Order: sequence, then C-alpha cells, then structure tokens
Amino acid sequence: MIVTVISVVFILAGLVFFIGGAVGLIRFPDFYTRTHAAGKGDTLSSLLVILGFSIYQLHDFESFSHDWLTLLVILKLLGISAFILITSPTSTHALMDAGWEDGTKPKIHPDRPNHLNDDCEKF
Amino acid sequence: MLSKVFATIAVAITGSILLYGVSDFPAFGDPHSPANAGVPGSESVSLYFIEESYKDTKVPNLVTSVLADYRGYDTMFETVVIFAAGMAIFAILRVVGNKEEEVSREPVENSFTNGDHSRIIVGTTVRIVVPVIQLFALYVVAHGHHSPGGGFQGGVILGASFIIIALAENLNAALRRLSEQNYVRLAVVGIFIYALFGVMAQVLGRNFLDYGVLAPLLFTDGPEMARSHSMLGVEVGVAFTVTAIMFAIYANLSSRGQLEKGL
Repeated sequence: MIVTVISVVFILAGLVFFIGGAVGLIRFPDFYTRTHAAGKGDTLSSLLVILGFSIYQLHDFESFSHDWLTLLVILKLLGISAFILITSPTSTHALMDAGWEDGTKPKIHPDRPNHLNDDCEKF
Repeated sequence: MLSKVFATIAVAITGSILLYGVSDFPAFGDPHSPANAGVPGSESVSLYFIEESYKDTKVPNLVTSVLADYRGYDTMFETVVIFAAGMAIFAILRVVGNKEEEVSREPVENSFTNGDHSRIIVGTTVRIVVPVIQLFALYVVAHGHHSPGGGFQGGVILGASFIIIALAENLNAALRRLSEQNYVRLAVVGIFIYALFGVMAQVLGRNFLDYGVLAPLLFTDGPEMARSHSMLGVEVGVAFTVTAIMFAIYANLSSRGQLEKGL
C-alpha cells in the first residue's frame, strides 16, 4: 500500500514536469529557451515516471528467491533511466549546439544588457 | 533519355504483372479466404499458426516462428531486397576514381574529443553509450524467440550504433571500425548464412529451408528444437545484412558516395 502511494507520487511529479516542459515548448519565445524547457522537462519527468514504475514493481514483493523476476524488471527499468539520464541531456546539447553553429540568435529583451555580440566574437 | 525510356518500360511491365496478380486475390473481407481466421472448417492459415506453431517449433513468439520458419522464403528474399537496395545505393552514388574535389586526408584522429571543444560532451556520451547499444542489439537478435525482436530489429540497432559514431565524430571514425570492404562482406555473408540453412536442408533430402531435418547437425533431440535453433541462425544472417546495408546507405548518402569525411 505504502509502496503504491510512493510510486504514484513519483509518477504524478513526473507528469507535472511533463506539463511544464510542454507549456514551455509552446510559450517560450525562441529556439534556445524552448529546447531548454523541452530537454529539462523530458529528462527529469521521464526519470521520475520510470522510478515510479520501478517502485511500483515492489508492491507485492515477498522474498528474493520468490520474486527475482520482479527484481529483474526493476533492474531493466533502472537501466532505461540511466540511459535516459545520459542521452537525453546530450541530445538537447547537440541540438542547441547545432542551432548555435547554424547562426540562430537568441531573443533578448531590449532593456536587458546584451552581451551576445561579445560572445559571438569570442567563438 | 534512353535510360528513362527503358526504365519506364521496365516499370510498366512490372506494374502490369503485379496488377495481373491482384486478380487472383480472394475478395476483400472474404471470411473463407485462407488469410482470415474465424470460420470453422475453412482453410485458415492463421488458426493453424496460433494453435500449432508452439508444438511445431517450440518458439513462444508466434511472429518469429511465422517470419523465420513458415515464411522463410519471404524473409530470405526480404533480406535480398535490403541487399539489393544497398547495391542500388552503391551503383547510383558511389564515386570511384575521378572525385569531384580532392579532399585532403586529415591525419587519423584517435580521440573523439580531439580539438573541437563543442564535441567533448557528444563524443564522451557516444563513447559510453555505443557499447551498451551494441550489446543491446545482440540481445534483441538473440531474444527474438521470446520477445519482440529478431534479425531486422537487432540489425538496425547495430547499424545505428555505427551511424552514431559517424555523427559524433566523422565518417572516417566509423569507417575505421567497419570499413567498406568489411561491410560489403558482412552483407553478403548474411545472405549466405541464410541460404546455407536452406541448402543444408536440401542436401539432407527435404525442401529448401525445411529446418526440421537439421536435427542431427545441430545436436538436438527432435525436429522442433532444430527448427528453433535454425531460426536463430537465420536471424543472425539477417542481422548481418541489415547492419551492413544500414551503415552503407548512411555512409554513401552522407558523403555523396565519396566515403570521405562526410557531414
């Protein structure tokens, strides 16, 4: 019972971050902020949801010898989450890097200090 | 111009043959046609597969037993189609000799992160992830009997792992791991493995791809396990060809057939 509650909390937290990512993807003004929202939201929320799944697998756990298949499922889920933890931020980074090399400029509010041109010269 | 005329004639002939074949199909939605299960007494292929395939082959995954055993011909020539697609890519794109521009050969780089700062993250990730991907591809190939997977899927994953190396650094880095000679060899060997299983059955006096007779060769008790093991061998052959052709298509398309740096 308590295991189910914990897993549901994890999954719901993941869904909240998913919504955040989706809203950011629609509402943010330019390429970089959108990619940032989608990348961060996807990574954290996928991790939370998968961790929730793996915790849920423990809900009728009795003993190691009896439920080793359950442990195998948990191990696979943790493997998937480790994979996402590495690959998802990397793909976001590669996307942003490609955008920067392609010359996409971030939008900057006119009242804010704009160091964009300095940075461009540096690269 | 003339080649277009010939191409049109070839397409017209092939198309008319295919259209002629359509006239022999069973009527659309015909419950008595062999492809549709359900009506008792009709010759239902699907019902036979569902009820008997585990007894025949001892493979729990129905899709694999149908794909690699009952319809072995179909799968073998699917593999040949993939091979032919790769050869067509070669024929159209591959530039031999007279290259468009002389590409200066850079010294061989040994590190993913050599020089370019922006590639440290991608290169390091790829170096960590590629062995896992390749191991998982072999798992998918070998586990096709029990779960979704098999030669085509595993081969695509294995091919993608080489493409990822080419994307993270450059094409030469991937070609150093799987050179042009080797991937063409791999593609041919894949089909050869598949055909070998068929011919061995013929040598032992049964039909092409009738794996049941291979039991003494594979040291199994009965024809069922022989069919199961032969399916694994056939899937390995498919995986070889698919891996090679996936990477061959990427390598030729991304470098306009020059197999130099690429991207």
